[in-house]
Amino acid sequence: MNSKTWISTIIMLSVVWVSSMSAVQAASDESVTVYSSRKEHLIKPLFQAFTQDTGVKVKYLTGKGGALIERLKLEGVNTPADMFMTVDAGNLWYAGSQDLFQSVKTDTIKNNIPAHLRDPQGLWTGLSVRARTIVYSTDRVKPSELSTYADLALPKWKNRLCLRTSKKIYTKSLTASVIYNQGKDKAGDIISGWVNNLAATPNAKDSHVMNAILAGQCDVGLVNTYYYGRLIEKNPDLALKLFWANQKTTGVHVNISGAGVTKHASNVAGATRLLEWLSSDKAQTIYGSLNKEYPANQNVAADKVVSAWGVFKQDKMNLSQAGILQADAVKLMQIKGYR
Amino acid sequence: MMGLLALVVAMPIIVVMLSWLLPEHELWTHFSENLLSSLISSTGILLLGVGVGVTLLGTVLAYLVVMVEFPGRKWLEWALFLPFAIPAYVLAFVYLGVFDYSGYAQVWMREVLGLPGFDIRAGSWAIILTFLLVFYPYVYMMTRASFKRQKINMIEAGKLLGAGPFKVFFKISLPLARPAAAAGLLVTLMETLADFGVVSLFNYDTFTTAIYSAWGDFRSIEVAAQLASLLVLVAFFLIYFEKKARGQAKYYSANVSTIRPYHPKGSVAWLITLFVFGVFMLSFAMPMLQLVIWAWGAFADEWSANYIDLLISTSSLTIIAAMITVIIATMLALPGRCKRGSIWLKGMVRLATLGYALPGSVMAVGLLYGINQISVINIYFGGESINHIIYGSILLLLFAYVSRFMAIAYSSIDASAQQIKPVFTQTARLLGASRMRLIWQVYLPMMMPGILAGGLLVAVDVMKELPATYLLRPFGWDTLAIQTFELSAEGLFERAAVPALMMVAFGALIMMVFRYLDKKSSKAS
Repeated sequence: MNSKTWISTIIMLSVVWVSSMSAVQAASDESVTVYSSRKEHLIKPLFQAFTQDTGVKVKYLTGKGGALIERLKLEGVNTPADMFMTVDAGNLWYAGSQDLFQSVKTDTIKNNIPAHLRDPQGLWTGLSVRARTIVYSTDRVKPSELSTYADLALPKWKNRLCLRTSKKIYTKSLTASVIYNQGKDKAGDIISGWVNNLAATPNAKDSHVMNAILAGQCDVGLVNTYYYGRLIEKNPDLALKLFWANQKTTGVHVNISGAGVTKHASNVAGATRLLEWLSSDKAQTIYGSLNKEYPANQNVAADKVVSAWGVFKQDKMNLSQAGILQADAVKLMQIKGYR
Repeated sequence: MMGLLALVVAMPIIVVMLSWLLPEHELWTHFSENLLSSLISSTGILLLGVGVGVTLLGTVLAYLVVMVEFPGRKWLEWALFLPFAIPAYVLAFVYLGVFDYSGYAQVWMREVLGLPGFDIRAGSWAIILTFLLVFYPYVYMMTRASFKRQKINMIEAGKLLGAGPFKVFFKISLPLARPAAAAGLLVTLMETLADFGVVSLFNYDTFTTAIYSAWGDFRSIEVAAQLASLLVLVAFFLIYFEKKARGQAKYYSANVSTIRPYHPKGSVAWLITLFVFGVFMLSFAMPMLQLVIWAWGAFADEWSANYIDLLISTSSLTIIAAMITVIIATMLALPGRCKRGSIWLKGMVRLATLGYALPGSVMAVGLLYGINQISVINIYFGGESINHIIYGSILLLLFAYVSRFMAIAYSSIDASAQQIKPVFTQTARLLGASRMRLIWQVYLPMMMPGILAGGLLVAVDVMKELPATYLLRPFGWDTLAIQTFELSAEGLFERAAVPALMMVAFGALIMMVFRYLDKKSSKAS
């Protein structure tokens, strides 16, 4: 029975191996454990620098924001996570509303991060800022033709507009800000106008929107600044430019990525230290250069590519509104047929 | 015993179904007024297009490589399996990169041929074609095996009676291959239903769109689970119709001998080569070339020792999950299970094989909630929560794989078990063989082709799996699929091509092992 012994040996070996693997779980008390929906290649360099500075190790697990929140909820008091890190203010607000964070208010964080980028109760802290604004073809559009997000709903942009899908969180937060600033009825008209002006089915990614403009499928679009930054860093001569929207009205819609210490963290001191360190000048510089975002810490200068775009007026809407109004925003977009 | 095993495998599906105990009206009103009717019709169009296309393409290709001699047949027969190794979302990604308005195929068409540009993501034809090229290997694989095992004497008799290749195909081969084609079609449709990657790249709304909207936008895991349980219902009916279509007919294989293929005239033979090679080009060679071009420039940036870890965890998960799934599926599919209580057993097995139609992340969350319920019960009886022990352990992830991919392993293994003539069992019993001996010396060797094919399919699927792995993996168990997703989600396609290519290479390796074992086992039998 050659094959029989062979198969059973394999089974035995794999059982032993699997059980030994699960036992490796236990981590040293010193380390900080992070759940992150920010992608690995963007956080790994930061955590490595933190460990170098402080000697504290960081264990991390990346995942989708919604799924990680679900896992945190179910793990409850026994969660291994000391910190939850995610993108978009709506996600941070929701994690806070589900009682997953604990309040952290230290002087370092207060000094480093301006108040409007932090939760009022100290549940979460913004760590990087991105603006969502208009991008246009310099071949076919004059900047003087551009003004606001609402302007893109006018008939003059018929078949000239490209948008990212309404399923992406950044679109939802932008729409939430339109509802907040203009009211639901007006926002509904604006969304209908956008949909009527589309030159193509909404794209899955901001980079696809920019490619479509470059290829001549459409003339204007809306993107997060760092996607433009990455593209323009590689090809500085592209016929594509950013335009700061709503400068004479409410200001450009900004969003954040951020983090908070979990409610049931076992290493509160370590997680707080990591959060403070992430708001420091050194970490904020890494943030900016890695991903072409604006530092949340106002003492830190933006990356060279980013600062070349100049300063702009920001929408001062409290960022938790993006979370509070998100369901309304999605409903409105679904009703108006914005895919 | 077997019933309990099936029940455990079915646990996440049962949890998802139980969501109906938590009714929620407001969101359902919004969905039914604004989304559901268009989602149902767009999902229906997709299933219809993909179903018809995959059946035609897969069956015709299989018939050609088995029954017709044409230049390049030998290597194309195996090359046609290769698209299996490419994850659907990677293929969709490449197609959009090449054929979208800004892709160079369209740029070339506009600038050189002067044709007008078009929005490839409008309508449903492009996404149907994409699914077609990703999923045809399922039907191809199953019908190819079936054509190879068809009764030679029936085909020879048909030829003697003057039937041409077309008549033999439609009147003899196709009807005989119907169960195999139906099984391949079933897997394809379930996978199309559960897909989220391709549909979100094309921004095509299907039923999964509503599931993710309920969960992601409206934070209602209950409605998401309720919607997902409707998918399970659809899968249930698909399986029902497949069984119905198969009817009472039993397709016991005769002794296999080599079929003499048709030898078409030179020009016809070359046309066939052109067609088969064209499918291979579009579904594999062209996407691979694009990935290599992307990876070439980004390799220096992206490559690090980290990839050794990714490769180790991907291959360990793949091998272990495939083995466990195949062992359980074989236990469930063994012929001659006890007759008493067989309705309960049948029902449980049916339930355990429905998980394939669930989107991976819904199934994963179902699993988390199921474990949580066990904890709640344990606490009620004075015990402790087991969540923190089970969550983030590799056992849970393996459990998710087994649950999700049971359907493909089972359908392949069950099909081979169905082909064992009762006379073998009866003879062995008459000669006084024990049940254990019967299993080891009669059933398992005869089921080996199905077991191998099932193992191959599960292995490749586990390697490509993203959503459940993403949510359930232990610390430090990142896979190649996760790396590909994280990079492409940030728009870094060139760098994403590096792990994607490694996945394809690994998948091709799995298929070579399969080919080797397949040859060995067909020699043995």
